[in-house]
Order: sequence, then structure tokens, then C-alpha cells
Amino acid sequence: MPSDAVGNGALVPFSGDPPALYPLHHGLAPPISRLAISWSRGNSLRLSLFAGAGAKVVEVKLDGEDPEISDAHRRRIAYGSVAPFALLQSRRSSLSALSRSPSPYHSDWWEHVLQYSKEIASLLGGPKLSPTPIIKDPNTIVKTGEEPTSLKAAWELMEIFYVDKESQAWLPERLVDWLADYDCLFTSTLETIHSKLVDFQKELVNIQVIEEDPKYWELLSSALSVGWLDIVVKMLRLHGSYQLDQLSNRELENGLVEAVAIFISKMPRLCPESAAAKVGECFESKPDFIKAWEKWRSQVTKLDCSPFWIQCDNQRTREGLRNLLQIMLGNTESLSLATCNWIELYISHFLFIRPFTIGIESMHNLAQKCIQLKPPSSTHRLAGLMIGILGESTEVVLAECSREFGPWLAAHAIELFTAGSEQAEILLHDDRYNLGGISIVELHRLVYAQVLSSHALTWQIAPIYLTSCMKQGMGLLENLLYRQSVQPNDVLLKNIEICRLYELDHISSNIIKIAGVHHWKHGRKGAGVFWLQQAQDASRLDRIAQQLFDSVGKSISHESFKQWEGMIELLGSESKPAGGLDFLYKYRDFKKSLQQVSGRKSADAARQAVGSLILLMKNSSTPQRFWLPLLYDSLKLLNWQDCPLLSVSETNLLLNKLQELSLAKLRPHHTEPSLPPDALSSIRLALATNLGRAILDE
Amino acid sequence: MAKELLNLDSGTTCTSWNYSATRLAAGSLDGTLSIFDSRDPSSSSLRSTFKSRVHEGNIVKIVWVPPEYGDAVACVFADGILSLFEEVAEDSQPLQWKICKSFGNSSNKVLDVQFGISSASLKMVAAYSDGNVRVFELSNPLELRNWQLQAEFQNVIESVSAFGKALCLSASISWNPQKGGSQEASFLIGFNSNTSELNSSKVWEFDQAHQRWLPVAELALPEDKGDQVYAVAWAPNIGRSYEIIAVATQKGLAIWHLGSNPDHNGRLPVERVALLSGHEGVVWQMEWDMSGMTLATTGQDGMVRLWQSNLNGVWHQQAAFEPTS
Repeated sequence: MPSDAVGNGALVPFSGDPPALYPLHHGLAPPISRLAISWSRGNSLRLSLFAGAGAKVVEVKLDGEDPEISDAHRRRIAYGSVAPFALLQSRRSSLSALSRSPSPYHSDWWEHVLQYSKEIASLLGGPKLSPTPIIKDPNTIVKTGEEPTSLKAAWELMEIFYVDKESQAWLPERLVDWLADYDCLFTSTLETIHSKLVDFQKELVNIQVIEEDPKYWELLSSALSVGWLDIVVKMLRLHGSYQLDQLSNRELENGLVEAVAIFISKMPRLCPESAAAKVGECFESKPDFIKAWEKWRSQVTKLDCSPFWIQCDNQRTREGLRNLLQIMLGNTESLSLATCNWIELYISHFLFIRPFTIGIESMHNLAQKCIQLKPPSSTHRLAGLMIGILGESTEVVLAECSREFGPWLAAHAIELFTAGSEQAEILLHDDRYNLGGISIVELHRLVYAQVLSSHALTWQIAPIYLTSCMKQGMGLLENLLYRQSVQPNDVLLKNIEICRLYELDHISSNIIKIAGVHHWKHGRKGAGVFWLQQAQDASRLDRIAQQLFDSVGKSISHESFKQWEGMIELLGSESKPAGGLDFLYKYRDFKKSLQQVSGRKSADAARQAVGSLILLMKNSSTPQRFWLPLLYDSLKLLNWQDCPLLSVSETNLLLNKLQELSLAKLRPHHTEPSLPPDALSSIRLALATNLGRAILDE
Repeated sequence: MAKELLNLDSGTTCTSWNYSATRLAAGSLDGTLSIFDSRDPSSSSLRSTFKSRVHEGNIVKIVWVPPEYGDAVACVFADGILSLFEEVAEDSQPLQWKICKSFGNSSNKVLDVQFGISSASLKMVAAYSDGNVRVFELSNPLELRNWQLQAEFQNVIESVSAFGKALCLSASISWNPQKGGSQEASFLIGFNSNTSELNSSKVWEFDQAHQRWLPVAELALPEDKGDQVYAVAWAPNIGRSYEIIAVATQKGLAIWHLGSNPDHNGRLPVERVALLSGHEGVVWQMEWDMSGMTLATTGQDGMVRLWQSNLNGVWHQQAAFEPTS
């Protein structure tokens, strides 16, 4: 590529990440001589690969969805999130209508968003794992049950920071809980305390004297450092000195173990009363908490300086317990040793070094410090999200959501960002030229709607997201509907219904037109005409009428009449006749009454037939080339024996038509109907006779 | 990530999906046309519903006729003939594919063909190897047999002095994919030929008042006008105030913005917003997704590449697919 020739820097350098490269396994014998591409609905791309010995067609879905979530679960989430999303949108629009302000920023707006957030969170996975381990088995330290998903962890993290205004005061404590629930997720890229505990749990049955195992003490300090107090207390009670046969020999040792366990279970926590199930003492107000915390710390310090330690002759127990005290006293080195990664270290800082931390800026600085202390080898997606949130950059958070968790999260989480920030509201809702005139919110909804559109089971909910997009949603919806197949019939009816719902008349008429032509061409003439009438497609109906004339107009035999009479019946009497079809109705009526005349020879029937004839001849939609055959068919009426059936004026009308016909013959493209050669003269004669008799009668 | 939909016979040279991606037409070296249908729209499994040798010689390209005109395809053959085939049931006969019309001859080959709908009638634009562009109009919306030549012109925008006999290797046509609306029909065409005046991509718009096609924009910088064009693609517009068009030449893949307000000469404002490198050599095909936000391309390097614009309006390659056995 001679990039120099381009000059003026127009060649876009790939500044960001290099494009993702995906292998496309095809199983054909190479080489591939040619490729063909075609987009299906949404972001499903169909590829054809041509090789010497064959070719293959494959479909690639470019949805970038979270691989942790199964397809069925993803669909449940997609369907479940429709109602909360739609409710929030309607609240948003009614609020902004009420306040006449473009921004729905409102003092209690966050409460609506919180409700939305809770409903969405409930879709993402079952209830949180119980923080208390199962008591029945004293050897069960950590519960390994249903694996939580990163998607739910991400959602909760954003809820903590952006939505739940009431718990802002105990934000650090909520992060402690968050890590307790989701530490296991980091195991994929980082070493975690959770995974170490799970491993230790497996070994537990084989360990004879637990307090002699260095891992026991290591894990105690780890669990304590991230505040899993219940686990620590439980593990401490597994200490050998609690066993009845040993209690008497190890009274002092056991007293120390129990003292530490009690201190741990009495650790003050700044959290709401509702979280009382937690181990530790909860304080809702900060001054109470600070007072209690300082008292607790001074007691821990006192224990640390106690002379009993010298008397404790079990070295491992002594060192292990004193290390736990160091953690409680916030010894930086102990915390660093006890934690496995920067997030755990970060949480331990909240618990033991800066329990009064408040303000996102200082939280961000602390995170930076922890990353420096324990630099990660690779960034876990949840860690990336957390850094984005702490960095107070909505764009980064949104980019992380979209890149790492897929379009569903980006489209739904965007609502959380605006819960309390007018700045975010402006950033996300302002239209941008670079995006083709849409806002970031709209962009993410469109992208998500594309994902929905590419699946047969989810495209039906795409319109709900598209109609929430003010600028380009309807355009995309039109393209989506246009690309739906018109068969089978239920799909067609569904499409028409969606068009009706969103007032997309031109699209529905187009879809119906496609259906009409499809039926017509596939030999289902009646269905074809029905749908073309629904589409009010005058030009095609006129052509169909022409074709009908061509096939039925020439002959008046009863056989052919039956053939196309059924056709006319199919058109139905209610549907609005368009163009030439109007003529066919009248023609049918005329033919019917003419048949009755030949059957019963009644004058009434004959008068009716004459009425139909006059209607036909007066009607401008009756093609000229039919005039002569019509008159020829009516000879019997014109020559009616008993009395003249046509009045003077009626006879004159018909004579005028004959005159017009003789003029038309001079024009080019005139086609003669196939009638007997004497047809014209016998009509003239009959009309003249009728005129004479009518004049006499009148 | 990739799901296999269908295996095709050896000798298959081209495929084309219909508007709803439920029918696939495939063409072969020996002139066999095959049609595969989905059992129902929600399933992706396909079964063969038609297979017949329709021509002596290779099918090089298949294009579906817009569905408003039935189930029909246009096949371009290697010998330059263009034939239309339609699926119809006539006079209580079973449903079958029938040829309705042929165009072109071996001395003046049809290189590309695309259909568009303007003023409620179907138009077919065909590019010929002598550098001519012909626009045909369907006279009866229910019959694909009768076409009238509406216009014939060369792909030049300035009145130029006569040039020698043009020899064109390939051409690429793309209609403005807008549906309905008041906008006049327009399409885009570029050539890969030995005549530089013909090559650059130009936008042609139908002038209703004078019933003629007029060039309204040229998508090439002054120094690039002679560059051979490999492929063009007009993006669907779901609400932008400007059009987006992709043009692939030997210099790379250019993304153009096309404004809607003509100047005093009737020319539309154009701006090249990106020139991207990716495929080395010829670009075979470019396709926009239905939102007009992602462009898929494939070319001589055997790769499929996806291109998008980021939040700052900077176009970049988003992903690439590399076929491996």
C-alpha cells in the first residue's frame, strides 16, 4: 500500500487496538479461491467460501456477547429486561413533560432508576450466596454453589456507585460485600483468596493437626484482610486447642485463640442495621462507628502487648494469632502479604487502614496506589470496570461495558449513569455529528437492537428499543421489517401488526405488496389479489385486471365464465375495488343476469341485464375493447320480442359508443376483438330497430 | 462463532441471498443455477429446491430482483450475457424457474447489474465492457419479460474530448438504498478500465423534469480520478443528514460523505473522511449492514474485514476473519 501517495495524513493510522483477528474454520481443502459476503438481519454476516473441491456457506454472529452467559439465559435476560426498560423510559418522558425540562434530572429520579436496577439485577442470576457458611458441617469453610456471573457483578458494582444514593455513606462496606460475593470471578485471571480457600477446603480432611499447617494461618490472615469475618471465626474454632482432650493442656493457648476470635466477631462495621446478619457490630451513624472503632482498636492494641504471648508455647499459634492482630491494627506489610491481588489489597485498606474513607477521588487515589503495590499481569474485565468507575469517566465505563460484556450491558447500564449526574446526562444524551447526529445513548440502543434483530427468537423485541431512539430508531426499524420474510402467513401478520403499532404505513404496504406479488406469481391468484388490494397497489391490480380480460374477455362461453367468476368472488365485495377490477365486478353482474335471461326468458331478468349493460357502458373504467363484445353478448336483449327494453336515451348512448369505436379503429395499436364478421352490422341493426320501437313507445 | 449453513458442490463460483436471507441462489462453472430455501424463517437449515443448467458457461454473478417484483434473479455469465430467471406457476403448472429475458452479447459484455426502484417502477442498471451504462425500465410490474431502454450513457462527469475504445475489466454499481420518500432515485458506478475518464465512481441521479440521468457527484480526489475502481457500496441511511459511500480502489478503501444540497452546478458536496488500508490488492466485494454502521469487505488477500467509525468519527478496522481449514 503506497501510503505516501495519499499524503495529507488522511490515511487513518490504527492508533487504538489492532483489529481482532478471528479464524474462520471451514474444513475445505485450500486454497480458498473466492469469498462472498452478505449481511442478514442485524449483525449476522453470511459468508460463502469457494474452493476447488467445493464451497461452504457459514453464518457469523458478530454480537460480542458475554461468553459466560448461555444462549437461553441471554434470551431470558433480553425478554426480562424489556419491561423495566420500557417502564423507565415512560417515567422519563412523563417526568420531563411534567417539569418541561429536557433533562429528567429530578430529586427522586434515582429511586426510579434504583427500582429498574434491582429488577434487572434479579434477571442476572439467583440470590447472592449466603455469607454464612453452612453450619451443619463444621469443616465447610467456603460454600461452593452456583457460580455468580461477571455480568451480575458488573451490574451491582455500577449500582453501588451510580444509583444507590442511600448507601453512599457506607460505600466502602458495600465494596467489601461485593468482593465477598464475587472474589471467585477474578480467579480466571488472578490469584484470589477465594481460590486458595477452596483448595484448602479440599485438603482439610487430610490434615491431622490444623494449627501446625502454615497454610491454615496464611489463609486466616487472608480471609481476615478482606473482612470475611465469619470464615475467620469458624476457622479459628477448628484450632486443636478447642478439642476436649486437649483443652486442659492448652488452656492459655485456647484462651488467646478465643480472645482473637471474639475481637474479630466484635469488629465495628459502618453499615445499615438491616445488614445485622453480618459478623461484627454494625453502626449506622459515622460518629458512633468512629467511637466504637477507636475503642476496639485500643483493645486490640492492648491484647497485642499482653504478656500472655510469652507464655504461649505453641510458636505457630502465637505467630499466627499475632499476625491476625497486625492485620486488625492495619499493618501495611501484613495486609500486603495476606492479599493476593490489588483489589483484595484495596478492600483490606478500607477495612483496616482507612475505615473512614469517603469521596470518590480519594478512593481512586487509593486504587492507584494498590495497583502499584500489586501490579496485575493482566486486567480482569471487572477490574477494568472498577478503574473506569473510580476514574469518574463515563466514557471509559461505557466502553468497558460494551467491549467486555457486550451490547446488552451497554444499552441497559447507560440508564444507571444518569441517575444522579446532570453532567453524565448531557454527555450521554447530546446529539453528536460524529455519530451521524445521534447521542451515545441512542448509539448503544441501536447496536443492541441490531443484536436482537439477528436472532429469530428476539427480533420481535427490537422495536421497543428502536422506538426509544428519537433520531434513527425508526429508520432501522423500517429496514428490519423490510427484511422479514413474507411467509409463512403468521410472520407476515406479525410484521403488519408491528407496522400498524408504530404507524409505518408505507412499510406495511410494501410488505403486503411483496406478499401479494409472491402469491400471484406462485399460482395463488386469489391470495395475490387480496394482498395487492390491501396494499392499494392500483398499478399492479390494473395489470391483473388486464390479464383477466385477456383470458376471459374474448369468449362468452359458460366454461370460461365459471373460471374467472370464482376469481372475482375471491376479491370479496368489501374490499375496495381498484382500477379495472371495478369493471370486473360489473361485468360479472351483467354476465350473471344475462345467464338468467337465457334460462327463464323473463322480462324482469332481461330488464336487470339491460341495467347492468348500461352501467357497464357508462362506466369509464370499462375498457373500450370490451364494448363490442358486450353489445354482441346483448343482442338478445336488443332484439327482445315483447317490447323494446332500452329507452331512446339508452339506445343513443350505445349508438354513440359505436361511433366512438369506429373512430378508435383509426388509431394505432387498435386490436379487433375476435367476433364473427357480421357482429358489428347485426348490433347496428338491432340498435336501430330498438330505437325505432322505443320512439314509437314513448 | 461461525455456524455452517450449507455445503455446495465443487465448481460453485458465486452465491447470493435474497432480501430476507431465506433463499440462496448459487451459480456454477458449468452454468448451473441452484436455489436453496430455508424451511422456515426461524431455521437456518436450507434445502435445495431447484437445480438446472441454465447456460453454457460460467455464472460469475447473481443478483436478486427486488421482492416487489417476485422471486427472480439476474445471472451474469462469463460470456457477458445477462439473463433474468423467475420462479412462477403458470396456468396450473407446478412452480418452476423460467428464463424471462436476456441482455448483452459476447462482444459487449455485461459486467455488473443492480436493480433499483424509482418513481414506482423497477429500473435495472447494467454496466458493459465497452464502458457504457444502460438503464432499463420494466414496463409491466407483473412481467419481467418486457424492458425498455430508458437511457444509455458513459460514466463521465465533465464533457470530455473523445477517447479511444474503452476496455473494461469490471464495474461496480450500487443504488442508493433509500426506500420511498421524496428523494429522486440515484445510483453509484465505478469502472476498472483502461480509460481513466470512465473509472472514478460517480453518482447518477434521475432528473424528473428532463427525464434524464445526470452525474451529480464524483467520488475521487483530483489526483485519483483515473484510479481503477474495484468495488463501491452505498450505505443504508437510517437518519443521517448525509450519505455514506465506500469506494475501493488500488489506493485503499475510501469512505465518503455525500451531502444533499447541490451547488449552482447541480453537484452535491463530497468529502473523503477516511482512506483505509487493509486488503492488499483487489477488493472483491463490499457490503453495508442494515444500519449503515458496519462495512464488511473481502478481497484478494482472502480475508473478510469489518470497518466501523468510532465515537470521534474516525474509521478503523474493527475485526478480521481469516479462513483456515
